[in-house]
Amino acid sequence: MNEGWFALIQQALGLLFSLDKDVWSIIWVSFGVSLAALLITLLPSVLLGFVLAFTQFRGRNFVLNLVQTLQSIPTVVIGLLVYLLLSRMGPLGDLRWLFTQKGMILGQMLICAPVLIAMSQAAFTSADRRAWETALTLGASLPRAIMMVCRELRGPLLLAVIAAFSRIVTEVGCSMMVGGNIEYVTRNIPTAIALETSKGDFAQAIALGLVLLFLAIIMNFALGSLRGKNQVRSH
Amino acid sequence: MASIIARDLGMQFQQRQLFSGANLHFAEGDCIYLMGDNGSGKTTLMKILAGLQTPSSGSVSAEGFATKKLWQKNTLNGCAVYLHQHPYLYDGTVKDNLKLALELAPADSAGSAIAEALELAKLGHLAKSQASHLSGGERQRLAIARAWLLKPRLLMLDEPVSNMDKESRELVLAMTARLKADGTGLLIASHQHGQLTALCTSRWLIQDGRIATNLDIRFTPSQETHYVLAN
Repeated sequence: MNEGWFALIQQALGLLFSLDKDVWSIIWVSFGVSLAALLITLLPSVLLGFVLAFTQFRGRNFVLNLVQTLQSIPTVVIGLLVYLLLSRMGPLGDLRWLFTQKGMILGQMLICAPVLIAMSQAAFTSADRRAWETALTLGASLPRAIMMVCRELRGPLLLAVIAAFSRIVTEVGCSMMVGGNIEYVTRNIPTAIALETSKGDFAQAIALGLVLLFLAIIMNFALGSLRGKNQVRSH
Repeated sequence: MASIIARDLGMQFQQRQLFSGANLHFAEGDCIYLMGDNGSGKTTLMKILAGLQTPSSGSVSAEGFATKKLWQKNTLNGCAVYLHQHPYLYDGTVKDNLKLALELAPADSAGSAIAEALELAKLGHLAKSQASHLSGGERQRLAIARAWLLKPRLLMLDEPVSNMDKESRELVLAMTARLKADGTGLLIASHQHGQLTALCTSRWLIQDGRIATNLDIRFTPSQETHYVLAN
């Protein structure tokens, strides 16, 4: 690295502010895929978290342990699993999703869901049961009662969303294996950073890294402002 | 006439039998004083009648209520409204909590009902305060006002005046009397036999795993309810 840090950051900012086609294509792929995976997974995962927290059923502990285990599996292993599923010989091979954004979304859904389920289950477990009972006894329908409890837990639930999104938008292993790092198609921020760094093109890698850094700052400050409004309740 | 009917009702937690074989009828216009020692199952019974808890045996049904909405968790929910001993208030202001009830209230409820509810609970000056900042008495009054907005035909109050100062007790009494005058069926669990329970016209007693009903409201506390005085 012959260039100084200052010059590199200047180049990186130049790429971002000049709306460099390559850089912004990578950013759009990254956000498009990760947001799609998050949105598809969000509702069922939060509902499963709610069911795990508020109900008792046979196999509940097994599901909880499975979710915890899935949370700790390295993304590259999930990438391998999805690769095998989507490869021509695999059970989902007919879909022809390997090396496509759909395949990446599927992989990121599998990474995202356990985080959302585990964190929303923890949030619902910490909820005051009276919030749920009060909603029901006041005559709220089941979806409305769930919404009322979710509103009470919006801080921890938003934290779960941020944690899940952070995990998928920054993961390399699964995106690299399932997406194949194809320019303008499946190249996202983490795979591009890995590639550009290996090529010695640090300016683009830094530009993309700055996007992730900026995203982390925004998300954490948004969460912080929400946390600031939520005060400890005496009842 | 709207009513909740329990047949051969029983409840036990693991080996502990709270009550069994209870046949209960709680209807509009009733005002029942629910008595029982600590841990005898008063709260559990109220939650069963409200559809918040499932009994170990027997059945509970509601009669005379409008057809329940689609997606209602339990057909009993919303029939007999249950108020916790320490009511839960949702995050937001006093007015927000009342608005929430109005959203769940029958369609013919007027928007002006919130002002009336605030007046009823004497909480008008606190309308914009955070509900979490209210005192115990104010919380209870807000919870009753919130329930009142729903125009409940049956209402169950769990220890509504426990640990309350005189002023709050009197306000809760006035609100309860208003609900009774409106024809709301009331089931009141209380350790303090006082002005509030004096509104009641009959008595249920949970004792030795049985629920005695239709007892005479005129009773001698010293003979039957030593625990009342002790508490």
